[in-house]
Amino acid sequence: MNGDSPAKILKENVWTNNPIFIQILGICSTLAVTNNLTNTLIMTLGVMFVAAFTNITVSLLKQVIPRKVRMIVQTLIIAFYVIIVDILLRAYLPEISKSLGPYVGLIITNCIIMGRAEAFAQSHGPLISAWDGLTSGLGYMWVLMLIAFVREILGFGTVFGYAVLPETFTPWTIMVMAPSAFFLLGSVLWIAKAIILKKERGK
Amino acid sequence: MKKDSLIYTVLVTAVSAFIFVFLLSLANGATSEKVAENQRVLEAKAYLTAAGIAVKEDMDVEKELMTVFPQFDSARPYQETTLNGKKLIVAPFQGSGLWGTIYGVLGMSADFSRIVGMEILSHSETPGLGGRIDEAWFKDQFSGEYAVDGIVIRHGGGKGDTDKDNGEVDGITGASRTSDSLQQIINDQIDKMKSAKGGMN
Repeated sequence: MNGDSPAKILKENVWTNNPIFIQILGICSTLAVTNNLTNTLIMTLGVMFVAAFTNITVSLLKQVIPRKVRMIVQTLIIAFYVIIVDILLRAYLPEISKSLGPYVGLIITNCIIMGRAEAFAQSHGPLISAWDGLTSGLGYMWVLMLIAFVREILGFGTVFGYAVLPETFTPWTIMVMAPSAFFLLGSVLWIAKAIILKKERGK
Repeated sequence: MKKDSLIYTVLVTAVSAFIFVFLLSLANGATSEKVAENQRVLEAKAYLTAAGIAVKEDMDVEKELMTVFPQFDSARPYQETTLNGKKLIVAPFQGSGLWGTIYGVLGMSADFSRIVGMEILSHSETPGLGGRIDEAWFKDQFSGEYAVDGIVIRHGGGKGDTDKDNGEVDGITGASRTSDSLQQIINDQIDKMKSAKGGMN
């Protein structure tokens, strides 16, 4: 796996091995934060940041950390970056910090980050690991943004808080609630799988 | 030292824990002033809104707060002021919502006949449902509302409630429990403010 090119990693993390619709990781936050585009954007940027820096740090420290305690140290590193994100949001973006509330802290338990640290950074150099973390975050981001776009426009009639649908539009309350994320995620999974399977059959 | 020996393991874990936590406390220390300032601005804005003043983007809210409440003292249970010849009493409140504690500030006319303004400081209600108590259309309903016998947050109807003299505000569809909780909190708060003011006079 050491010969992976950056382009191949990008394609895998964003499409063929996407953390959301192929690996089905990080679903809790997918359901929780996607009813509004602004929150989703900040949340996914947070995940990208944490994933990239966790991967760099784990990759740099992998020779030093004894195998027995590597998971604990990885969790420590992840928690460290998540708290940094939380502190920065509270200091410089108080409004967003207020509306994201507990979800920032929950990035710690996002399996994507732990998964990439364990599966990739443990066996690769720091630079390529950073790229892997960044692109994994990107794979997470575009799927969440897609879901958030549908939920916000149908649930509130807005995009990034700006009204785009006419006043007469009746918001679909269900889109604001968690179940709609299940329906939409299911649909995304279905469509993505259908496209991937069709390509494979074509070969 | 052998890498899988007990001493090495304990040492590495302890040292890395120390370093990371040390860096975090540095970051926390560096931003704590900014965070405290954000909190003060948020509270100052809430007091101003509760006193019926429209907060603008470029306002120096802390200065404005001292102008509106010349005797502002956060140690006291409520603040009093006279605006445009009307005596006001403003106090922070808290109470349990559906998921967590709702914090806010409530402003009343000094004779407790009407609510002047209501602002939510923090809450953990369902985003998009109960969380909408923090939206302007909902909070604005409280200003000027008749509240001699407390208020009622209405369910159903679907027509809204523009009558400022009936002591009723329109609830949030899909958030009956949050509406009920908030109604309880506001009414308790009005009673508390009445007895706090009565006890001091």
